[in-house]
Amino acid sequence: MTELWARFPEYLAAHLELSLGALVIAASAAVPLGVWITRRPRAAPALLALTGAVQTIPSLALLAFMVPALAALGALTSRAFGFELRAIGSGPALVALTLYGVLPILQNTVAGIQGVDPACCEAARGVGMTPRQQLWRVELPLALPVIVAGVRTAAVWVVGTATLSTPVGAPSLGNYIFSGLQTRNYASVTLGCVAAAGLALGLDQGIRGVERGVRRGRRGLGAGALLALVVAALAAAVVAGGLGAAPRVVSIGSKTFTEQYVLSELLAGWIQRGGGPPARPLQSLGSTVLFDALRAGDVDVYVDYTGTLWATVLGRSGPPPGRAAVLDDVRRTLAAEHGITVAAALGFENSYALAMRAARARELGVATFSALASRSPELEIGADYEFLARPEWRALVSAYGFAFRAARSMDPSLMYQAVAQGQVDVISAFSTDGRIAALGLTRLRDDRGVVPPYDAVVLVGSRLARERPDVVARLAKLEGRIDEATMQRMNRAVDEAGRSPAEVAREWLDAAQ
Amino acid sequence: MIELEAVSKRYGDVVAVDALSLAVAEGELLALVGSSGCGKTTTLKMVNRLIEPSAGRIRIGGRDTRELAGPELRRRIGYCFQQVGLFPHLSVADNVGVTPQLLGWDAARVARRVDELLELVELPPARYRERAPAALSGGQQQRVGLARALAAGPEVLLMDEPFGAVDPLTRDRLQERFHAIRKRLGITTLFVTHDVAEALRLGDRIAVLDAGRLLQLGTPRELLRAPADATVARLMETPRRQSQQVEALLRADGA
Repeated sequence: MTELWARFPEYLAAHLELSLGALVIAASAAVPLGVWITRRPRAAPALLALTGAVQTIPSLALLAFMVPALAALGALTSRAFGFELRAIGSGPALVALTLYGVLPILQNTVAGIQGVDPACCEAARGVGMTPRQQLWRVELPLALPVIVAGVRTAAVWVVGTATLSTPVGAPSLGNYIFSGLQTRNYASVTLGCVAAAGLALGLDQGIRGVERGVRRGRRGLGAGALLALVVAALAAAVVAGGLGAAPRVVSIGSKTFTEQYVLSELLAGWIQRGGGPPARPLQSLGSTVLFDALRAGDVDVYVDYTGTLWATVLGRSGPPPGRAAVLDDVRRTLAAEHGITVAAALGFENSYALAMRAARARELGVATFSALASRSPELEIGADYEFLARPEWRALVSAYGFAFRAARSMDPSLMYQAVAQGQVDVISAFSTDGRIAALGLTRLRDDRGVVPPYDAVVLVGSRLARERPDVVARLAKLEGRIDEATMQRMNRAVDEAGRSPAEVAREWLDAAQ
Repeated sequence: MIELEAVSKRYGDVVAVDALSLAVAEGELLALVGSSGCGKTTTLKMVNRLIEPSAGRIRIGGRDTRELAGPELRRRIGYCFQQVGLFPHLSVADNVGVTPQLLGWDAARVARRVDELLELVELPPARYRERAPAALSGGQQQRVGLARALAAGPEVLLMDEPFGAVDPLTRDRLQERFHAIRKRLGITTLFVTHDVAEALRLGDRIAVLDAGRLLQLGTPRELLRAPADATVARLMETPRRQSQQVEALLRADGA
C-alpha cells in the first residue's frame, strides 16, 4: 500500500496539470469561438457539427491518434524551425483532451448568448452601447451561468478522459488503473478511480464557487475559490516540473502487462546500481506507441520480443528460421534501419501461446495446435486487442486451418478471467505469464513451429547510445541473466501473490549483487 | 425638434415606410397612431437608427442623424419600449445610470443623477437604488425604464407603446405621472401607441399612419372634428364607441 501511495503526489499533480491545462486552453478557444458563431448564424451548424464529431471519436483512439499526428507535425517543425515536438507524453494528451473539452463549452456559450432576452439586447443598443459593450456588459454576464455550466461539464469529462492518457506516455491517475488491471491489483485500480472521481468533483465545485462568487458579487467567496484553483494549479506545476526537471533521466518504457512493469523497474534499478544516471520507468505505453517513442528519442530503453519485431517491424513472413537467426536478423536490421541497439537478450522467451483450462484440454484431448485446429469449429477463442490482427495469427491460421466458432478481442486482464470461468475455450496467452499457472491453465504445443521465437531483448535508442555508452555496456551485462523460470516466478509473484512490480524487481537486483 | 424628410424603409419589395415627412416641434409630444404593421415602430426606430432608413433624411435639432455613429447618437436620445428591457444582472441604480456611465461621467455625478431621476419617477432612492429589477412590479419597472431613458438629459425622447403591457389601473396612473413629468421637463417626444385614447390624452398633436404613409397630422381636436378620410374617422371614433357601450350597459342596468 505504501508502494502505491509513494507515487500519488506525482500522478495527482500530473493529472491535475494535464486536466487544468486542457480546460484552460479549451475554454479560451471555445468561448471566443462561441461568441463568433453567434455573430455568424450561418457558420454555427457546421462548426457545432464538427466539434460534435470530434466528441464521437472514442477517447482512447483520439489520444493514440495524436501520437503519429504530433510526430508528423514535429518532423515538420524540426525541418522548418529547428525544434522538435515530443510525440509522446503530455503533448498528445493535452491536444486530445483540449479537443474533448471544447464541445460542451462551445455549445453552452452559443446557447447562453442566444438565450439572452432580446429585450435586453434592444435596450443595450437603445441606451447607446457599442456592439462590444453590449457583449461585455450585457450578453456575456447574462450568459455566464450557462457558459460556466459548460466549463463544469468539460471539467468532469476532461478529468475522466485524462485517465486514458497513460498509454500515450502522460502519467496520470490512469497509471493506477492501467497497471492495476494488468497486475490484478484492485486496490490500485480503486485508488485510481476514486482519486480521479474526487478530482473531478473537486474541480467542478471549485469552478462553481468562482462563478457564484462573481455572479453574486460576493468577491470573498469567488476570490477564495479562484485562489484555491490557482494554488492547486501551481502546486501541480511545481510537483510535476520538479520531477521532470532532473538533469538527464533515462526513461524506461513498458507495455501494459505485468512482465513489462517488472522489467522496467528492474532495468531502472540495474542502471542506477551500476552507477549510471537516474532512470525512471514510464509505464503502460501502447506497444506501437513504444517503438515509435524509442525511435523518436522520447523513450530511451525498453524490452521487446524478437518475434514481434521480426514480424511487425521487420515485416518478415513465412516459416521463421531458428531462434539465433531471428535474433541476429533483428539485431542487424534495427541497427541499420532505425539506429536502435539491441543491448542484450535477457535469456528467456515470452512467446505467443494458446492456452486452455487444463481440465478442458484433457477432456477434449487437445495438447497441440493441430489437435486444437480439428476441434476449433466447436470452440471460442479470446485474444488481446493486438493478437487477431497480427501477422503471427494469420500465419497460424494458414498453417493449421483454425476456424473458431467465434473470436473475441478483449482486455488481457479479462481474457484470463474469461477462460478460467469457461466463457471462452482458448486464449492467446504469453508463455511467461504468471496467470497461466495461477489459474490452472495449460499451454498447447506449436507442433509445426509456426510461431517465431520471442526472445526478450533490451532495446536502446540512438540518443542514449551516443550520449551514455556506459549505460549500454551496463545493460549488456544482463545478457542471459534471466531464464524463463525466473521470469515466470517474478510474474507470478505479482499476479498471484499481489506484490508490487518494484518490490519483485528489487529482490532480483538484491540477489544479483 | 425632430424632422423627417421623405423617409422610407424598404425590406426587399415590401415598403414599410413610404416617403414619410413630418416634424415634431420643440417641447411637443407627437403621438404616432395606426393599426399594427402601419410602420409606426419602424418610423420611431429610424430616428435613433436602431433601423437604418433606406432613403430620406432625419434631423434632430437641425443636425443630420448620420453625422454621429449609431451608439453615440443613441446616447443623446432617450428610448423606452414596451418590454422595458432592464438589465437583470444590474441594480436599479446601475440600470438608470448606464448611459451617463457610457458617456464617461464620474461616479459621484452618476450617483447624484440617479437619485434625482428616481425621485422624479417617485421611487424613493434609498429604498429602490439597490433593488434587482426582478423585485419590481411591472409599473415600477416601466418607471425605472423612463428614468434610464432620461438619465443623460437627452435632447429628445422616443417611446414605443411604453404602457402597453401593464394593467389598466397602473396604465392610468403611469400616464398621469408621465404627463406631469413631461410638462415639467418640456422634452420633445415621439410617442408610438395603438391606443387612440392614450394618444388623445398625452399628445399635443397626433399623426395617423396607414401602410407606411401619413394619413393626417393635427391636434386631437382637429382630428376628432375634421378627419381627413374614413380610416381616420373610424380610428378616432374608437374611444367614443367604447364609452358609448359602457353608457349603454349602465342605462340598461338603470332601466
